[in-house]
Amino acid sequence: MKVIKNFNVIAVIFLLFILSSPIFAETTAESGGGLESIIKIMVAVTAFLVAVIMWLVLVYSEKSESAEESGFRKLMQMLNQRPSIDDEQKLLLDHDFDGIKELNNKIPPWFMAIFYGSMLWAAYYMVDYHILGSGNVQEDEYAAEVQVAAMEREILNKSGALVNEETVTVLDDVAAIASGKEIFIKNCAACHGMNGEGLVGPNFTDDYWIHGNKINDLFKTIKYGVPQKGMISWQAQLDPTQMQEVASYILTLRGTNPPNQKAPEGDLYTYE
Amino acid sequence: MNVEKFNYDNQIVKLFLIATIVWGIVGLLVGVIIATQLYIPELNLGLSFTTFGRLRPLHTNAAIFAFVGNAIYTGVYYSLQRITKARMFSDVLSKINFWGWQLIIVLAAVTLVTGITTSKEYAELEWPIDILIALVWVVFGVNMIGTLVKRREKHIYVAAWFYISTFVTVAVLHIGNSIELPVTFLKSYSVYAGVQDALVQWWYGHNAVAFFLTTPFLGLMYYFLPKAANRPIFSYKLSILHFWTLIFIYIWAGPHHLLYSAVPNWAQSLGTVFSIMLWMPSWGGMLNGLLTLRGAWDRVRDNPVLKFFVIGVTAYGMSTFEGPMLSLKNVNALAHFTDWILAHVHVGTLGWNGFMTFGMLYWLVPKLWKTDLYSKKLANVHFWIGTLGMVVWVIPMWWSGITQSLMWKEFTPLGLLKYPNFLETVLQIVPMYIMRSIGGLLYLTGILIASYNLFKTMGKGSFTAEEAAEAAPRGPVTEKLQYGMIHRYLESKAILFTVLALVAILIGGLVEIIPTYLVKSNIPTIASVKPYTPLELEGRDIYISNACNSCHSQLVRPFRSEVERYGEYSKAGEFVYDHPFLWGSKRTGPDLHRIGKKYSNMWHYLHMENPRSMSPGSLMPPYPWLLENKLDDSNLKAKISAMRTLGVPYEEGYEEVAHAEMAQQAETIVNDLLDNGIVVEPDKEIVALIAYLQRLGTDIKAEVAENK
Repeated sequence: MKVIKNFNVIAVIFLLFILSSPIFAETTAESGGGLESIIKIMVAVTAFLVAVIMWLVLVYSEKSESAEESGFRKLMQMLNQRPSIDDEQKLLLDHDFDGIKELNNKIPPWFMAIFYGSMLWAAYYMVDYHILGSGNVQEDEYAAEVQVAAMEREILNKSGALVNEETVTVLDDVAAIASGKEIFIKNCAACHGMNGEGLVGPNFTDDYWIHGNKINDLFKTIKYGVPQKGMISWQAQLDPTQMQEVASYILTLRGTNPPNQKAPEGDLYTYE
Repeated sequence: MNVEKFNYDNQIVKLFLIATIVWGIVGLLVGVIIATQLYIPELNLGLSFTTFGRLRPLHTNAAIFAFVGNAIYTGVYYSLQRITKARMFSDVLSKINFWGWQLIIVLAAVTLVTGITTSKEYAELEWPIDILIALVWVVFGVNMIGTLVKRREKHIYVAAWFYISTFVTVAVLHIGNSIELPVTFLKSYSVYAGVQDALVQWWYGHNAVAFFLTTPFLGLMYYFLPKAANRPIFSYKLSILHFWTLIFIYIWAGPHHLLYSAVPNWAQSLGTVFSIMLWMPSWGGMLNGLLTLRGAWDRVRDNPVLKFFVIGVTAYGMSTFEGPMLSLKNVNALAHFTDWILAHVHVGTLGWNGFMTFGMLYWLVPKLWKTDLYSKKLANVHFWIGTLGMVVWVIPMWWSGITQSLMWKEFTPLGLLKYPNFLETVLQIVPMYIMRSIGGLLYLTGILIASYNLFKTMGKGSFTAEEAAEAAPRGPVTEKLQYGMIHRYLESKAILFTVLALVAILIGGLVEIIPTYLVKSNIPTIASVKPYTPLELEGRDIYISNACNSCHSQLVRPFRSEVERYGEYSKAGEFVYDHPFLWGSKRTGPDLHRIGKKYSNMWHYLHMENPRSMSPGSLMPPYPWLLENKLDDSNLKAKISAMRTLGVPYEEGYEEVAHAEMAQQAETIVNDLLDNGIVVEPDKEIVALIAYLQRLGTDIKAEVAENK
């Protein structure tokens, strides 16, 4: 009996879920679906599945309990309108297929309620999106998302938090160089060699440079890339500080004379 | 009353039953192999035939059409004879159905691993096999409808309603989606292009799930579940309601596979709303199944057959709830292209199709061989190991899908992608891949145990090919059409019923597909989009033949995170010359729609030779044979004229200069590679593939540049 009581609680959650389903069905504004909304959905789905199983257990254990008519049981009866299994004979149709008989049970009212509800929701959705136009179609959603990002970027630019190819300076503190090295090994070494000796891309340890040897030049090459030569643009992958760090690290490689160096490319620059 | 004596044909049931077990093992074994290849790519043994892209369609085809297909025939051929009180219409057709289907399966296996494919998911087989499938399917249909027509029962039972809808819909879907223009005996191009091809493909793909994996199994459930439980069907009314609403609504929901794609918004919205409305009709089947067990739950505990059915029907309920949820745009934005979809599908296939099949086999084999199950204990072991396998398969894939998708979408406070390197998001979920392959292995072990148990059962029993039965003839039809009994009347009219089912399933597809042809504005044209050059066209066919689309999508969705990662989002007008479309449905690797001109020719060459040289830690298998194989361009002229027939604007007589143009473009690429120290002959497959990849998604860049 105690167990059954606990089931009731869970079954109520299930009902609440059914009632609330249209709410999260129509959330359309946030296409990205932040972590929060995902967690909500996952929790709802999990609770729902647990509830269904519990509900099944409850429904099928009903036979053993008949003395007490709780409010909850009345509610369940209203939603299911299912006659007791003992009255089944009255519902038996004269159908017989290879021994299979059929009952004439009512379709549960809760089933019809959700079915009609889903139709209403569908009508509302189509009207909202395609007649009133108040739902965001994907192009509008995208435009809104980009606009927000542009505003955020504007604020960052104004705050001076972002360096660019004009304002960039050489970093020489140990932490920045170490971070630059890490970025280099992860992203650049595949083409420029583990030690900058050059591989698919040019050698960074000699005195020859194709696109200039100043920090501004390096920063620019990294940021925009040189697509026709196979150097990709990194501005979508590295933030300005990271590009500054890796450019500063590359400048420290000159004269390290690693093995297997690639032949010089570009123009010879003289250093003091 | 005079009683007719006749025999049920059990021999045909036996043949299909054994085929089900054999193909089940094959299909699941290939599944376990490819699941393992995802984290140990070396398992392809360095062969093109056993590489993931080639084996993945083999797994899906074997699981769906060989395992589940034969299971459907097993159940239909057994139950239909009994619910109609008639032998199958024609023994010859039964035999053609069986041997024809097995021939198709073998041909599928051979062609798929050798790279002969149309690339369209679950419809990869080339045109001669497509024709064979259509013929064998019609043979099955004629045999079934024939049996219904000559039935002795006055009415048609609900199981057969589902069988009828299965036959008519799969016929329509298969023929509709497979309309292709043959170029050679083993190569064809889809007559549809781009957005239209996508809509037709997912009208097919979605409804292949509906009418090959769902309706026939609901039919089987309506026969085998009440038989095994010895209980009456819970509600005849519910049967009628959920049958008609299910088949009518299902067909509309296809575009939910194409949310946030270049498909018109109105079609996407129809996909969403019909998916939501589909929830209850699907659950009608689950309810009728579970509530039929009312009063028999005490027996579920010690009856393995019922146990399998309960989990099967519950899995059906779970995945038909998950499906509508995944069709909501905000959930889909997160789940599409990830492992979540695979988890969803496998709840359906492993749980619903697999467990319903096992339940049916455990019931049927003792029945047919007139004995008891060899070992109830082993059946219980199978039940638990199968259930555990499913859990270990599905939960990690939910987890990995959500994890990876959130990583794809995450930005840093400075407004950059947090994980700009796609590979990072792959390496993060490798532990989930490992778990999944263990789950698959458990499930495979289960079916091995089952086959041992079932063959042992067959060994100790005695099989009767011809089972004697008797029933009164149907006699003249007396059923009258009267108010309140309309459906009962319909149940006595096999042909009328079939026609009405056909009408119900045609409406949705027609409403969604025809307008994209007729309404020009649905696919805005883009002036700068031009047909592929001959070399690119050949490269595209190499892409198709190696099934690159198994792992790589070509569809950038309109999200900031995707535009940042890949480039401008995909527009409908960019795909007008894509016969077939290659959007893909899963991103095991990154999207490739904007790959053109992003990397150098040398990068692609080295990357195909060994992906890890350019992308350390990559899980993509190497494709060294592309560097060795000579490009077979002998059908180039035929390909160009086929494309022109399909509406691609190649000038008249272009065939004559195509070879020269191809050589010229190849030369440019070879020279560029040579400048970078790579020597390759211009007639190798890799050159054509590089040409295609470098072209991908670049046409629109010209347009964007012009507008600036």
